[in-house]
Amino acid sequence: MAGSETHGARAVRVTPEEVRRLCEFLYRRTGMLFNDNKRYYIDRRLIERIAATRSASFQAYFAILRSDVDHEIEHLINAFTVNETYFNREEHQLRCMTSVLLGNVIRRKPPGGAIRIWSVPCSTGEEPYSIAIWLMENWSHVDSYNIEIVGSDIDTRALKAAANGVYGERALMRLSRDVINRYFRPVADGEYQIDSGLRDSIQFTRANLIDAQDMARYRDFDIVFCRNVLIYFDDASRRIAAENLYDCLGPGGYICLGHSETMSRISPLFRVCRFPDAIVYQRPEADHDGH
Amino acid sequence: MPFVKRDVTARSKDGRPPDDNLASHVAALNSPDGETRWSAARALGGRADAVPALAAALAAEPVARVREAIMTALIRVGDEASVMALLPYLRSQDAALRGASIEALQALPEAILPFMTSLLADSDSDVRLLATELARNMSAADATRILCRLLEHERHPNVCAAAIDVLAEVGTREAVPALQSCAERFAGTPFLPFAASTAIARISDTER
Amino acid sequence: MTDIERASPPSRKRILVVDDSSLVRLYYRDTLEKAGFEVEQAINGIEAMEKVLVQPFDLAIVDVNMPRMDGFSFLRTLRSSPGDVATLPALVITTEAGEQDVAAARAAGANFYLVKPLSQQDLLRHAAALSGAPP
Repeated sequence: MAGSETHGARAVRVTPEEVRRLCEFLYRRTGMLFNDNKRYYIDRRLIERIAATRSASFQAYFAILRSDVDHEIEHLINAFTVNETYFNREEHQLRCMTSVLLGNVIRRKPPGGAIRIWSVPCSTGEEPYSIAIWLMENWSHVDSYNIEIVGSDIDTRALKAAANGVYGERALMRLSRDVINRYFRPVADGEYQIDSGLRDSIQFTRANLIDAQDMARYRDFDIVFCRNVLIYFDDASRRIAAENLYDCLGPGGYICLGHSETMSRISPLFRVCRFPDAIVYQRPEADHDGH
Repeated sequence: MPFVKRDVTARSKDGRPPDDNLASHVAALNSPDGETRWSAARALGGRADAVPALAAALAAEPVARVREAIMTALIRVGDEASVMALLPYLRSQDAALRGASIEALQALPEAILPFMTSLLADSDSDVRLLATELARNMSAADATRILCRLLEHERHPNVCAAAIDVLAEVGTREAVPALQSCAERFAGTPFLPFAASTAIARISDTER
Repeated sequence: MTDIERASPPSRKRILVVDDSSLVRLYYRDTLEKAGFEVEQAINGIEAMEKVLVQPFDLAIVDVNMPRMDGFSFLRTLRSSPGDVATLPALVITTEAGEQDVAAARAAGANFYLVKPLSQQDLLRHAAALSGAPP
């Protein structure tokens, strides 16, 4: 069992069964699914939240969580999804993109055709720039197609920062020295800016996943990265967002969620694709009546 | 750079402002083209005046994806009429439809509350069983009250099991007597006494 | 078989329980563990699929009334997976005893079919038989 002291308060311990019940609740509410090797991590975060809410027991905390007192569900999700963003954050998805997804995408394209990739929410831009750099470093066909990368977020300050493209060392920790030298310029102590050519190649826009009119501007995307945002929505908003995303994808288009997210609690619109590097979801290639 | 930057806002299919005309969307709900029906359902989301049309469309819709969109549109209204439009599908022979309607109703814990008494008294045990799941998203007080009332009279073991499963998660201490009497009533049967005592143990944890 | 393999005790049979009710999973787990099985749990077919792909099992006990990613869907994915995973024995548990459901269970690739609620004896007897455990 895991436990901790909180300023002289009696330590609250949680049993493996209680952690399992928490995970089950989170799955039903958000679609997040944690595998067994995440359980220790969840233990620690749960105990933090029990302490933060001054709960005397897991059961007392669970009652708070269920009723979402003071947005506790959001606090708990925040505790689980490391909100820090950095380059190549989920490299396995980038690998999946170049090893499998793009191969399938180009089968539908004429030579020199357009490939559209969307990162939403893009926050301060690490994800769309990572996609661009990864493609240039790893995709042999990168020069054979017109690749459009769009980064969108609801937060205009984040978008401004994204367009500016300046990052600290921590954000670049997954990148090799070579890559940093190729695509960044040092601009201040410990800060690097993305090359202007690359900065000018990405379109940054403000978009709200739940606003159908907003989303109507985005069509025919081949790959969408939509990570760690749907989990924050309520049931109705999740369904709306999923339907909007469906329309934003072209037939056969792929959507990549966050590492612990599943589509099953969100929407039945997409088929699940299990690839060696990642599980992604796909808008069906053709509309079969009844499916 | 192999990347192309195009103005996303220039890609909109047409420059017309969104069409708020109820009649034209309702007409589109009956289009022979699935894509048109899909768009119509999405455009009508949240419109209380569209509920009758959405309900009628749902009854006739053959494409699952469009059915989902119609249900989402009804959820967004979320009033009594929407609930009534969704309820019949709890009885559907089609498991997928039943599942879809339960998921839709789960998104409306307040709106479904007035219907719970009659759902939990339904002559069809499958309906009662599905209805217990709807209590999971309700307040602890509401869920406890409703499910304990069910447990007092329920004879079907699988319905009891479903109710106990929900109470194990959301029940307050008020549920303990009903759980105990259920365990006694089903003493000697597989599973239910175990389920009831586990639920009681979890609920009683709040006594500290 | 080497001398060492002959001498060591047979490893315990591993069972994966797939059911969205935590009480049912607990019931099965308590019953099976007391009888010497190793038990893993999954709340739905997705989690179940994740687990079977990374760990060996001798039997999956699958509830087919789970919402959305239901037990049948899991079974079909299982049976069309590459390698040994596809032949994992599956005991399907349902609330219905109708012919339709038996046929559906067989079509999805179930090895056997039982109606809940399960008595402990039924559970153990079928778990032993289907996982290949000694009687």
